[in-house]
Amino acid sequence: MLAVEVRDLAKTFRSGWFPRRLTRALRGVSLSIPRGVIFGLLGPNGAGKTTLLSILATLLLPDAGEAKVLGHDVVREARAIRPRLNMASGNSSFIWSLRAPEILAFYGRLYGLHGKALARKVDELVALCELEEHRKVPYQELSTGLKQRLALAKSLVNDPELLFLDEPTLGLDPDISVRMRAQIAGLRRERGTTILLTTHYMREAEELCDEIAFIKNGEIPARGTADALKRQIGIGDVIALRLDPASGEGLTELPGVLRCVFQDGRVELTVDSADKRLPEILHWLHEQGIVVRDVDVHEPDLEEVFVELAK
Amino acid sequence: MGRVYAFAKRNVLMAVRNVFFVFELAFWPSVGVLSIGLMTRFLELTPEMTAFLLVGTMALSTIQVCQLDVSYALLFDVWSKSVKHQFLAPMEIRHMAFGSWLVGIGRGLTVFGLQAFLSWWAFDFDFFEPGVLALGAFLLGCFLTSAIVGLLVCALVLLFGTRAEVSAWATVNLVMVFCGIYYPVSILPPPVAAIAAAFPLTYFLDAFRSHYGFASEFSYALVTGFLLSALYVALAHWALAAAVTRCRRTGLLLKLSE
Repeated sequence: MLAVEVRDLAKTFRSGWFPRRLTRALRGVSLSIPRGVIFGLLGPNGAGKTTLLSILATLLLPDAGEAKVLGHDVVREARAIRPRLNMASGNSSFIWSLRAPEILAFYGRLYGLHGKALARKVDELVALCELEEHRKVPYQELSTGLKQRLALAKSLVNDPELLFLDEPTLGLDPDISVRMRAQIAGLRRERGTTILLTTHYMREAEELCDEIAFIKNGEIPARGTADALKRQIGIGDVIALRLDPASGEGLTELPGVLRCVFQDGRVELTVDSADKRLPEILHWLHEQGIVVRDVDVHEPDLEEVFVELAK
Repeated sequence: MGRVYAFAKRNVLMAVRNVFFVFELAFWPSVGVLSIGLMTRFLELTPEMTAFLLVGTMALSTIQVCQLDVSYALLFDVWSKSVKHQFLAPMEIRHMAFGSWLVGIGRGLTVFGLQAFLSWWAFDFDFFEPGVLALGAFLLGCFLTSAIVGLLVCALVLLFGTRAEVSAWATVNLVMVFCGIYYPVSILPPPVAAIAAAFPLTYFLDAFRSHYGFASEFSYALVTGFLLSALYVALAHWALAAAVTRCRRTGLLLKLSE
């Protein structure tokens, strides 16, 4: 069962009158996201992440293509979708003079809660997002971290089946980011919420997401698990060896070796898979009578994949 | 009704926490009624002429305050950059408009009460003289006008962004010029008078003033006023709904939240 199904989605923003400026934010994006996963959407600024999220959240109408959320068309059946999804973003803002429980109660009522159920939900979310001590503080006086926790709390007011998180840890201190990430992971684990997350932080994506799609210039050039993406990009693992004697002639001829660099008495081999190639390389070196003094294996992280894809 | 209550309660909370609202509710209406009342004294106007002017003053203040509440339902979200959360939720424009309008009626009645008291205390003018029914019909007409103006202001803000927020304060004053705030519409040039005849408030003012000895310029003024109001409320609601759809298409809904 799919939570999100997108086919050939396109969106162009028009601005100015003379000259008329056109910005093609999405150029035929296709994507499917199964239910119950945390799906990451990565990409450089202006790649189209927020545009895609906004269309799926029914805040923006697409120019072309089709998007279904929880089985409903986002254009024709937006009313059926809205009660079942919610959204929080890193730059969320609320009415300045209202306090956290009042903001949560306002949105709770918009999602059909009332009476004791509403009061219970507000208390639950205030506790969940650790806003207890700040119940009486107006929104404008909350710190950035507290504002973002409140945004997350607001996004849970209707127990959404599908949650859009647009840069949820943007600008947060590391310790608060860690707690926020734990809360997000808990949502999927404990409530089975499907989460579509955009982020600039590769570590966040690697830690949280079951699957990731890269979006660039309004297109999705790559998607998969973090490991699959690394393989797909082909930037490879690096095996650094200190050899005695310091010679590795013939190493480049071995299967799976993509690149070989000699530097400061060390040889750095870029291979398709360190797990597979390291035993073969060590065996070959042994046969050649070369002693291996030191081995270091480095797997590329998602950041390197991001840099590679963003080129 | 829960969604209507959500908007009503939010408007109340914002009203009680904002000193600006006190000015809207007490300061400007008091200044308005006192300055116009004193002017009638200086010009030595008859009680009928005084009534004519004070009715206009009261209508302006009441409509202004009530329509601001309808406009604030959107404007406060625009100012605090939280518009998208509202339109992400499963609510309809009618919830937003009706909830905020109810609070506007409450604030409008407060303004009316204050001005009625000042008019009676300072200038011996009795707003209740035409009777409760006539006064009720007039106030309802004023509140319907407020709903129309408030909805149109919201539509303008969603069409043109924050550049249009000035319309929240300007529109009512413009409407009042056409509707004969301090004069009968018969003195307007014929093309302008024809425009005035398209405004429901023109009929409500005409009907209420007729209780103070002024011959009515329209037959079935109240009926015409209410029919026009119903038509314009429907049109304004449609215009706002169309503006929201356009806003979703152009991306302004997101820009207003950044």
